[in-house]
Amino acid sequence: MAIIQPGKRPAKRFEKSRILGGKIGHGRKATNAELNVVPMVDMMTMLVIFLLQQFSATGEVLYMQKDIRLPDARHGQMIEQAPVVAISSDQVVVAGQKLADVADLDRDAGYLNIPALEERLREEKKRWDFIHQSDPGTKWDGIVNIQADQKVPFRIVKRVMYSCGVAGYFNLNFAALDIGSGAAAASAEK
Amino acid sequence: MGGGGGVPEQGGGGKRKKKALDAVINVVPAIDLLSCCITFLLYTAVWTQISRLQVQQLGTGAPEPTEAQPPQKALAVTLAVGERGMALSVGDAAYEIPSLGRGGDGAVTQDLKGLSTRLRAVKSEYPDQASIIVSAEDTVPYGDLVHVIDACLAAGLVQVSVTGV
Repeated sequence: MAIIQPGKRPAKRFEKSRILGGKIGHGRKATNAELNVVPMVDMMTMLVIFLLQQFSATGEVLYMQKDIRLPDARHGQMIEQAPVVAISSDQVVVAGQKLADVADLDRDAGYLNIPALEERLREEKKRWDFIHQSDPGTKWDGIVNIQADQKVPFRIVKRVMYSCGVAGYFNLNFAALDIGSGAAAASAEK
Repeated sequence: MGGGGGVPEQGGGGKRKKKALDAVINVVPAIDLLSCCITFLLYTAVWTQISRLQVQQLGTGAPEPTEAQPPQKALAVTLAVGERGMALSVGDAAYEIPSLGRGGDGAVTQDLKGLSTRLRAVKSEYPDQASIIVSAEDTVPYGDLVHVIDACLAAGLVQVSVTGV
């Protein structure tokens, strides 16, 4: 049997009666609960600071691809906006468009150029010329980013480089994973 | 005296309560702003830090120099990279940097530490020298080439030209 606190036990119809001052009935909890949001604001502030540190004004120029593992480098510079030639172990790709098979390039090793790549880069250069035709002060810098898998042999990279050079892209940027200038400074001191 | 907070004043014909010192700040707009910031920053965050190693291609496509440049003391520094190791030639002097053998996957391991030491010695001997030609064999992987170029940049030889053998 349940234990009941001693005191007045009026009939149920009087429990909510205002005549008795509402003191007899059981007090209801307030519906407005106060939530302490200060820890949440703290956490969000920390998140914003962390994400601001990760922020890059140049955006993502090179996209990491599943089949391309980049080598690491300590003394690289910040990447620039330029056409990207991606060389995986299977294919050569520019802006998502496959231009050559690495196996085919290995097969006809007698040639040095890659015609499809040359043509594609010439189109890019024409587009650049068209955009800058009213701006004679801007000189053609001929920058191209080469993003290759670390196991791709130089004979493939050499052909890509040659094709870039023929198309007018003579400033080559080899992409690498930046492993930090702090480590580089430490190694330079040794 | 700050001890009278909340104590009703005596006399004067009435009881007056002092204003509470605690002010409530509405943090909901701050949460809204922070939420927007987090969403924007998460969307635009770049998680992989990719850098570039700038090289020149020897021979093809580079523009001719337009202005007459003053003649410089030309010192040819060439680094040949191959399966057997590296060969550094500085003017008439030549240095061999043999490879460290093959790793577990059969790939040649280059002696990058030895190369860095040698390049730093060259740079200390010729402080004005900034250019180097890296000639790689066809079988050299892109990863090794990047590591070699990185070692050249670390030693202060910043004008790197790449060519085949």
